[in-house]
Amino acid sequence: MDQYLQLNGITKKYGDFTALAKVKLDIRKGEFVTFLGPSGSGKTTTLMIIAGFEKATAGDVLVEGRSLSGLAPHERNIGIVFQNYALFPHKTAVENVYFPLQMRGIKRTEGLGKAAEMLELVGLRGLGQRYPKELSGGQQQRVALARALVFEPSLLLLDEPLGALDKNLREQMQIEIKRIQRTLGVTTIFVTHDQSEAMSMSDRIVVFEKGEIQQAATPLEIYHRPRTRFVAGFIGESNLIPARITDAAGKAENPALGTCDFTPVETLSQGQDVTLLIRPEHIRLSRKPVEGRKNAAMQVETIVNYGDNALVIGRVGDLPMRVRVLGADVVIIQEGEECCISWLPEAVFVISR
Amino acid sequence: MGATISRLGERPNLWPWLLLAPLTAYLAIFFLVPLADVAVMSFTEPRLSLANYQKIVTGTLYQRVFLNTFLTAGLVTLVCLCVGYPLAYLMNNSKPRTAMLILLLVTMSFWTSFLVRTYAWMVLLGNNGPIVALLSALGLTNPPQLLFTRFSSTLAMVHILAPYMIMNIYSVMRKIDPVLIRSAESLGARGFSLFRHVYLPLTAPGIANGCVLVFVLCLGFYVTPVLLGSPREQMIAGLIGHQIEEFLAFGMGSAMAMVLLAITLAILAVYHRRFGLDKLWG
Amino acid sequence: MRLVGIAVVIFIAAPLVIVVPMSFSDARSLQFPPPGYWLGYYQAYFTDVSWLRPTWNSIIIAAATTVLTMALVVPACFALVRHRFKGKSIADLMMLMPLAVPHIVIAVGYYSFLGDLRLVHTHLGVVLAHTCLSVPIAFLVLSANLKGFDRNLERAAQSLGASPVQTFLHVTLPILRPGLVISALFAFIQSFDETVVAIFISGRDAETLPRKMFDSIRQEADPVIAVISTLLFVAVLLAVIAPFAWRGIRSRFARTALPAPSPAGR
Repeated sequence: MDQYLQLNGITKKYGDFTALAKVKLDIRKGEFVTFLGPSGSGKTTTLMIIAGFEKATAGDVLVEGRSLSGLAPHERNIGIVFQNYALFPHKTAVENVYFPLQMRGIKRTEGLGKAAEMLELVGLRGLGQRYPKELSGGQQQRVALARALVFEPSLLLLDEPLGALDKNLREQMQIEIKRIQRTLGVTTIFVTHDQSEAMSMSDRIVVFEKGEIQQAATPLEIYHRPRTRFVAGFIGESNLIPARITDAAGKAENPALGTCDFTPVETLSQGQDVTLLIRPEHIRLSRKPVEGRKNAAMQVETIVNYGDNALVIGRVGDLPMRVRVLGADVVIIQEGEECCISWLPEAVFVISR
Repeated sequence: MGATISRLGERPNLWPWLLLAPLTAYLAIFFLVPLADVAVMSFTEPRLSLANYQKIVTGTLYQRVFLNTFLTAGLVTLVCLCVGYPLAYLMNNSKPRTAMLILLLVTMSFWTSFLVRTYAWMVLLGNNGPIVALLSALGLTNPPQLLFTRFSSTLAMVHILAPYMIMNIYSVMRKIDPVLIRSAESLGARGFSLFRHVYLPLTAPGIANGCVLVFVLCLGFYVTPVLLGSPREQMIAGLIGHQIEEFLAFGMGSAMAMVLLAITLAILAVYHRRFGLDKLWG
Repeated sequence: MRLVGIAVVIFIAAPLVIVVPMSFSDARSLQFPPPGYWLGYYQAYFTDVSWLRPTWNSIIIAAATTVLTMALVVPACFALVRHRFKGKSIADLMMLMPLAVPHIVIAVGYYSFLGDLRLVHTHLGVVLAHTCLSVPIAFLVLSANLKGFDRNLERAAQSLGASPVQTFLHVTLPILRPGLVISALFAFIQSFDETVVAIFISGRDAETLPRKMFDSIRQEADPVIAVISTLLFVAVLLAVIAPFAWRGIRSRFARTALPAPSPAGR
C-alpha cells in the first residue's frame, strides 16, 4: 500500500502572508513520518489542516484516495496528541481514554475495559483512577497517547509531544512511542523542532522551511545528502563552505581551501556557485599533513570539551571551521596553536541550492 | 474546489454578533435609554433651558457641595492609600499563614454589605459607643460629637473602600520577584532608598489602580454620607437624592447627575487611555 | 510598617466584629458594650413581616437577576473572548459601562424610565435594573475564566469524535462550571447588596432588604438591624471560609499524596 495519506498542493494564506505554499507529500500505510523545522515553518499548520482545525486556502488532504475536506474534525477519525497533552482535567485517566469510545456509542463497562487495556499497553497499569493533575508529565503523556490510539484511528498526529519533558524522560518516551507505534502499526505524523528526536524515531523526515518542504527522505539520506543549504545547516553540525565548480567531474575551489576534490552525485556545470558540506566528524586533526587526503592548516581558536569527544573551532585563512574529535585526540593541540586538518574526497558533499 | 474553500474561509463570521446581540440590545434599552433620560431631563425639566446647569455653575450651594465632594474623595483616597499600602506590605512580607488570615479578613470586609459596615460605625462612634466611652474614661469630660460629622462619614468610607486599595496594591506587590529586591539590596539600596527606587516604582500601577477606583467610587457615594455625614456638608450624590426625593426637582437632580457622570467618565477615560479600563476591576 | 499594619487590621476588623454582640444586646438604642444580652431581637426579626418581606423580596429579585444576567452574559462572553471582529473593543467597553456610571446617576434614570413603563415599585422593574448592574461583574469573572480555558481541550475532544454540541456538553461546560458558579454568585450578591437604585425604584411593594435597612437606620436605628447585619456577616463568613475548608477536607482525604494543589484561582 503506497500513498495511504496524500497532501495535494496544500496552500494556506493569512491575508498576504503565505504560511504554506503548495505542500505535496505522500505517506505510506504504517509509516512514521516526522515533520521537522523551526517554529513558524508551517509544520504545525500542516498538521492542523490534516486534523481539520484549519481550512486550507487551496489543495486537498486524501486518505486512501478519499478527500477529507468536507469532513469536520470529529468525523475524520484522526488521533492527536497535543503539545500540552490536553487531558480533560475533570475526568480520570481511564475516563479520558474512554471518552472517544463513549463518543462512538460504546457502552460504559465495555469501553472502560478497553480503555484500561490501552492504559496497560502504554505502561500505566493501576493508575487509571487518577486525575491528570495527579500524574507526572510523562504519565500524562502516556494517557494522551492511549486516548489518541484507543479508537483505532486511521492516522496518529503528534504535535511536539515531548517538548515539556526533561531530557532523560524525553529519550525514554521516544523509545516508548516508537514501540507502541510499531505494535499497533498506525500511520503516524510526528511534529518536532528537535532534529535528534527526528533522526532517532522516523522512517522518513520531512524538513519544512518558510512554508515549503525542503526535503523528504530517510534520516540517513537527510543527514548525508541534504538537498539544500538549509537542510544541511539545520540537521547535524556542519561546515558549509562556499565554492565554485572548476571541474564538473569532481573539483571545486574555495579561496581559503584551494581546490577540493569531491565525488559528484548530480550533474554540475563548470563555474557554478555551490556550497560544500563537510561534517565536523569527518575531519581529522593531526600535527602533519596526511597522505591521500585533502589537507589544510587551521588556526585553533576554541576547544570545547564534552568528555568523550571535543569540538575544535578554528579558522583556515578567514574561513571558520569546526572539527569534532574523540576526547583522546584532543590532547595533541592547544588553543592558539596551528594544526593540520584533513578529509577524504568522499566526505565532501556538494549542495547546488 | 480550492476556490469554494477559500470563499468559505473568508466569509465574515456571524456567530459573535448573534451571541452578542441579546446583551447589547438589553444594555441599550435598559441602561443607555435610562441614562439618556437623565440627560434629556437635565435640559427639559421643568422647561427647555440651560437653567439647571447655570444654577450649578453660579449657585454657591452647588459649588460648595461639589468642592466638598472632591475634597472628601481626595481625602478618602489619600487615607485609603496610607492605610492600604502598609497592610499590603505586611501581607506580602509575613508568613503565608498570617498573610492568608489578613487576606481572609480583607475579603470578608469586602463582601460584607456596606450597610452593615455603615451601621457598625454608627455603633462604634455613637454617643453610647465604645470610643466615646474610652475618651471619657481618659478624662475627657465633654467628648466631642463624632457621629453625623464629616469625620464619621470619611472614616466609614475609608473603611468601606480600603479593600479595593489593598487588593489592588497587594496583587501588584505579590508579583514582584523577591530576587529583584535582594539584588537591589546587594547593589546598595537600603531602607528608604530601596523603597523609593525599587518598591515604589514597581507598585505604582497598583497604586494608580487603587487610587482611581477609590476616588471614582467615593465621588458617587450615596448611602454612607447620607447616613453618617453631617446634613450641612452633603456630597453630590446625597444632594441629587435630596433634590429628587424631597423637592421632586428632576431637572436639577439630573443636571447634577450629568455633571457627576461627566467628571467620573473623564477620570476613567484618562485612565483608560493609559492603562485600559478592563484592568481597573480585573 | 508592621505596627501600622496591625493598627489597620484592627481598624478593618473592629466594625465587622462589633455587630455580633450588638445583635444579642437588650438595649433599645445603640449602646456598646451592651448592658445585657438576650435573643429578643432575633425573635423580632423572624416574626416581623416588615422585615421578612423585604428579605424575601431581595432573595427573589437577586435570583431572577442572576438567571437573567447569566442568560445574557454567557453567550456574549463566548463571542467576546473567542472571536475577533470589528467593534470588539467597543463591545468590551459597553459590557463594563455600568461599572463606570455612579449608581445615583442611573438611579435617577431608572426612576423616570421605569416610571414611564409603569414598572417602578415592581419586582420586574428592580430585576431589569439590577441585571444591568450585575452584567459587568459576571462578565469580568466569566471572561477571565474563559480566557484561561485551553482550547486544545476542545480540539482534543473533536479529534476524539465529539461533535461541537457534545464537545460543549462533555468538555467545555464541566470545565467552566466553577467559573460559571462564581460568576453567578457575584451577580447574585451584587443584586442582593445593591442599595441606591433600590432606594429609588423598589417602593413599598418590591422593597428590598438594603432599602429597608437604609430607611430603618435613617429613621429609628431599629436594633433588628444588628440581627440582620450579624446574619449577613455570618453568611459572608461561611461563603468565604467554605472554599478553604473544602480544600482542607479534600486534601486530607485525597487518594494520593502526589499532586501539589493548584494555586488558589480566581
